[in-house]
Amino acid sequence: MSIDTLTPPAGLGFELSEDHNMIRESIRDFVEKRVAPTVMERDENCEFPHDIVSELAEMSMLGIYHEEKYGGAGFDTMSFAIVLEEIARWDASLALTVASHTSLCSAHIALAGNEAQKMKYLTQLTSGKALGAWALTEPGSGSDASNMKTTAVRDGDNWILNGAKIFITQGSVGSIYVVLAVTDRDKGAKGVTAFILEKGMKGFSYGPKLKKLGMNSSDTCEIYMEDVVVPAENQLGGLGQGFIDTMKILDGGRIGIGSIAVGVARGAFEESKNYAQERSQFGRPIGQNQAIQWKIVDMGVSIDAARLLVQRAAWLKDNSRPYTKEASMAKLFASEMCTKACLDAIQIHGGYGYTKEYHVERFLRDAKLLEIGEGTSEVQRMVLARQFMK
Amino acid sequence: MKISVCIKQVPDVSAPITIKDGTLSQDSDRMVLDAYSASAVEEALVLTGAHGGEVEVVLVGPDKAKETIRKALAMGAASGVHIHVEDMSGLDSAAFAEILAAWHKQSSYDAVLTGKQSQDTDAGLTGGMLAWKLDLPYCANAVGLTYEGGKFLVKRQGDTGQEMVELESPCLVTCSNDMNDPRIPSLKGIMQSKKKPVKTVTLDDLGLSLDGVKGGVVKTEGKGFKDVPGREPGKKFEGDPAELVSQLVNLLDNEAKVL
Repeated sequence: MSIDTLTPPAGLGFELSEDHNMIRESIRDFVEKRVAPTVMERDENCEFPHDIVSELAEMSMLGIYHEEKYGGAGFDTMSFAIVLEEIARWDASLALTVASHTSLCSAHIALAGNEAQKMKYLTQLTSGKALGAWALTEPGSGSDASNMKTTAVRDGDNWILNGAKIFITQGSVGSIYVVLAVTDRDKGAKGVTAFILEKGMKGFSYGPKLKKLGMNSSDTCEIYMEDVVVPAENQLGGLGQGFIDTMKILDGGRIGIGSIAVGVARGAFEESKNYAQERSQFGRPIGQNQAIQWKIVDMGVSIDAARLLVQRAAWLKDNSRPYTKEASMAKLFASEMCTKACLDAIQIHGGYGYTKEYHVERFLRDAKLLEIGEGTSEVQRMVLARQFMK
Repeated sequence: MKISVCIKQVPDVSAPITIKDGTLSQDSDRMVLDAYSASAVEEALVLTGAHGGEVEVVLVGPDKAKETIRKALAMGAASGVHIHVEDMSGLDSAAFAEILAAWHKQSSYDAVLTGKQSQDTDAGLTGGMLAWKLDLPYCANAVGLTYEGGKFLVKRQGDTGQEMVELESPCLVTCSNDMNDPRIPSLKGIMQSKKKPVKTVTLDDLGLSLDGVKGGVVKTEGKGFKDVPGREPGKKFEGDPAELVSQLVNLLDNEAKVL
C-alpha cells in the first residue's frame, strides 16, 4: 500500500483550552496597553525595550513552556505560539526577542543541559534576570554546519573557544549564550558541540549593533571569541551532539517564527480592514470596492491557513509526536504568506502605506526577516523535499 | 483581613451588540470581567497585599461565568464563590442584592467591595441595596481606599469634588474604575488559578428560589430596547473666511441660540 506523505500525522485533534484563551486575553491586553503605543518610536530609534522585556518577565512570559521547577510558567508550545502571535501583531521585534530567548537559547539548555546547568542558567533565563542568545550562524556558514569555523579545543578542565558568530539576536543585551563550535573537524556535523558562555568571560566580546532593514528594536550583532576559556562543566549536551540538538531546537524555533508571521500578517490584515472602511474615494469607502475586498479576504483566508499549520505543529510538539515536517511547512507557508499580506496592506493604504505614519510599512520590513531567519525558505524547501521524497 | 468582592460577568463592550425583535442580541462567547468589578478586585488585592489577608470573589451567574471567576483568581484572589443561576433573564439589581445578601449573611468579611455600577446595565444600584440589606456602613463611587486601625478611609468622587469618608469595619464600598489600573494576570497567576478553590452555591443552599426572587424581589420589568437614533449630519461651509465667520456667528446666535 502506498503511503500518503502529505497527511499523517495530521494532528487535527487540537482545540484551544480555557488556559489558552486566558493567556491570549492577558498578553493582548498587555500588548495593547504597553507595547503598541510606542512601537513606532522604538523602530525609528532602533531601541531595545528593556523596560517592556522586564515587564514581560514579571508576567512569566520569558519561560512560557519551561518547567516550573526551573522558574518557567509550565505551559505548552501552543501557549507560546499564542503569545508570540499577539506580541507580533504590534511589535515583531519584541516577539523575535521573546522567541529567540525562549525557543533557542533557553530551549537548548532545557533540552541538553544537566540538572546543575538548568538550575544555574535556565532559572536565570526564565525569570528574565538574564537574556539568552543562541549562536550558530557564522559569516561563512549558516545552515551548513560542516563549514563552521568556530573551534573548541580541550585544555585540561577547560575548553578554549575561538571564532566569530554573526546575526546573533540578543548579541549585546544577552548575558547567557549558547555557542556551537567544532570539536572534531573530521566528523563533520557530528563533530560539533554546544557550550554555555557568559558575558564577561575573558576574550568574549560583541560587535556594534547591525543596521537592518527591519526588526529594528531587536538586538542583533556579531560575537567574537578569542581564546575564551570555558569550564568543561559548561559543555552543553554530549560531545559531538551539538548539531543534532541544534536540528531539534530549530524545529521548535520554526513554530515561533511561524507564529510571529501569523501575528504580523494579522496586523497587516486588521490595519487594512480598518483603513479600507475609513478611507473614502469617489464618495465611498474604498472597502466597498471589490478589488480591495478581495485582497482583504485573501489575506484573512491565508492567515487562517497559516495559523492552523502553526497550531498543528505546536500541538504535535506538545503531544511528543514528530513535528519536523509540520514545523517546516508552517514556517515556510506563514512567512511567505506574511510578506504577501504586508505588500497587499501597503497597496490598500496607497501612498500613506509607503510612509512611516502608518504601521504597514514597518510590517513589511519586519516580515522579510521571517523568510530568512531560522532557515531560509529555500532551506525549508530542502528539508521538506527530503521529507516528501523519501 | 478578608475582603469579599462581588464581581460580574458582562458582554465585551468592544463586541458588536445589536437589537433584534426588541431584545439585545449579543455574541455570547465574548463575555468578560466587568471593568468596575476588576477595579474592585485590584483594590482588594492592594489592601490585602499591604495589610495581609485574602480576597474572595463572589459571582452570581451561569456556568459560563466560572471563567470570569478564574480571571479574578488569576489576578490574585485566593478563592471564589459561584452562586449558580443558569437563567439570568428578568433578574434586576434588587434580585442580585437579595442573592448576594443571602450569601454574605452566612460568610465572614471585613469589607465587601463591588463595582460602582456594571458595564452591562450601568444601573449602579446593587451595591447600595446590598449594604442596606446587610445593614453595613456604605460609601459609593470610591476613587481611593486605605485601612488603618480597624477603619476604612474612603476617598469618594462626588458631583462637586472629592470627600473623605471613614467607615467602621465591616463595611461596603463601591469602586470607580478611576480608582486604579487593574493588573493583567501573569502566566503564573493563570497557572495558579487552576488550583484555587471555587465553591459552587445554589439558590436553594441560600434558602432562596428563582421563582421566589423573580416574584417577590424583582421590581423592574424590561420593556424592550431601541436603537439610538444616529447623529444628524453637520453643516459644511465653504468660501471666504470673513464671510464664513459672520455666517457662523449668525447661525450660532439666531438658530442655535447659544451666544
